[in-house]
Amino acid sequence: MFLFPLLFAAIHAEGDRELAERLKRREPQAMADLYDRYGRVTYILIFRIVRNTGTAEDLVQETFLRVWNRMQAFDHEKGALGPWVLTVARNRAIDYLRSVDGRMAQNAFELETNEHPSLFSNLETEVLNSDRARRLKTAFEKLTPNQRLVIELAYYEGLSQSEMAGRMKQPLGTIKTWVRGALKALREDLGEALAI
Amino acid sequence: MTCEQLKDEYELHALGLSEVPERWEIDNHLRQGCAHCREGISKALLTNVMIMQLAPDVPVPRNLRKRVLASVGVQSVNWGWRAVWATAMAALLVSVVWLGVENRQKSAFTAEARETLAILNEPETRQVAFGNVAPVAPPQGRVLVNAKHGVLLLASNLPHAPAGKTYELWVIPKGGAPKPSGLFQSDARGTAMYVSSGPVDVSTLGAVAVTLEPEAGSAAPTSTPVIVAALSD
Repeated sequence: MFLFPLLFAAIHAEGDRELAERLKRREPQAMADLYDRYGRVTYILIFRIVRNTGTAEDLVQETFLRVWNRMQAFDHEKGALGPWVLTVARNRAIDYLRSVDGRMAQNAFELETNEHPSLFSNLETEVLNSDRARRLKTAFEKLTPNQRLVIELAYYEGLSQSEMAGRMKQPLGTIKTWVRGALKALREDLGEALAI
Repeated sequence: MTCEQLKDEYELHALGLSEVPERWEIDNHLRQGCAHCREGISKALLTNVMIMQLAPDVPVPRNLRKRVLASVGVQSVNWGWRAVWATAMAALLVSVVWLGVENRQKSAFTAEARETLAILNEPETRQVAFGNVAPVAPPQGRVLVNAKHGVLLLASNLPHAPAGKTYELWVIPKGGAPKPSGLFQSDARGTAMYVSSGPVDVSTLGAVAVTLEPEAGSAAPTSTPVIVAALSD
């Protein structure tokens, strides 16, 4: 697992407010601009989750369609467009994985609620820059193998801690320890950069 | 539970992965306006987005931009299905000739063009018309089905789906339940071209249909089909 350098050029808040406003006005060129800004990172994230080109393309299409159709609920003055698009993208991909392996019903509601546009108001909009990227990469590499695995299972497979325990054949308490340890380490290393 | 006890759960909660009782506790704190939990969830959203971007780089399909924009009707085409058909064929013909001269066929074809060409050209592709040319014209056009490459829908008179809605394509086996096969949007002129890539069991295929669905799509049709193209034996 490694960071993809081109991403950093794509993730920026510059112009997102204006772009969001144009999207709310349903300007066709705004959708093209949204794709040019976040299409690549969206595809990379979704592909990492579903690991199939055709499926990833379908889900990218669904992601942008969903964003386009829900734009009216997005606060273009205070909203963080990039984080919202990526969260919608992850949810589409995790929804797909769950539908494939029969986990759809269990957490579907949570995915619906965690991407509401209102949640992305008043967030810091500049999600990543090169310093943060290096910090994140370093922090991730310092995790133990088990900590890295549970992070991947949570973020890229959408497994709850109970589901991880079943998958990894480990006690739930052990899984919780790994998850909390990993997130604590990432939070600490990212803490200064993430100060809100 | 206190905010201190819940703070390690914020990221999982923001991912939709927290479990009871912590999930209920955080929801309860948020409902009660807990500023600490609200700030914690906001930070967790950002942490999550950053971690999501640890995914390794992969090449992005070149046709994806066009496909995404077409799905929301941005790349408007003002012609009926006949013109769409003619243009697609002409473009593909030009592409084939040019690519043959340049000996760059493999690299220059987009995935969509390949699928479209395969569906259009292969003799085993089955074609069925839907709609008619009545004065108040319903959706009309062509559905082309190829066992190896998928389904190609060409439609006109298909009104732009309203906000919060989208069109969903269904592949319906004989005697079976409709299978969701992708979401798309028509343009402002009511024209749509959509490719659902992937193998299709033509021997059991009964019909291809289109319904108007909520924007996220549906697992099963929730409205009366606006297009039904039945494949006769």
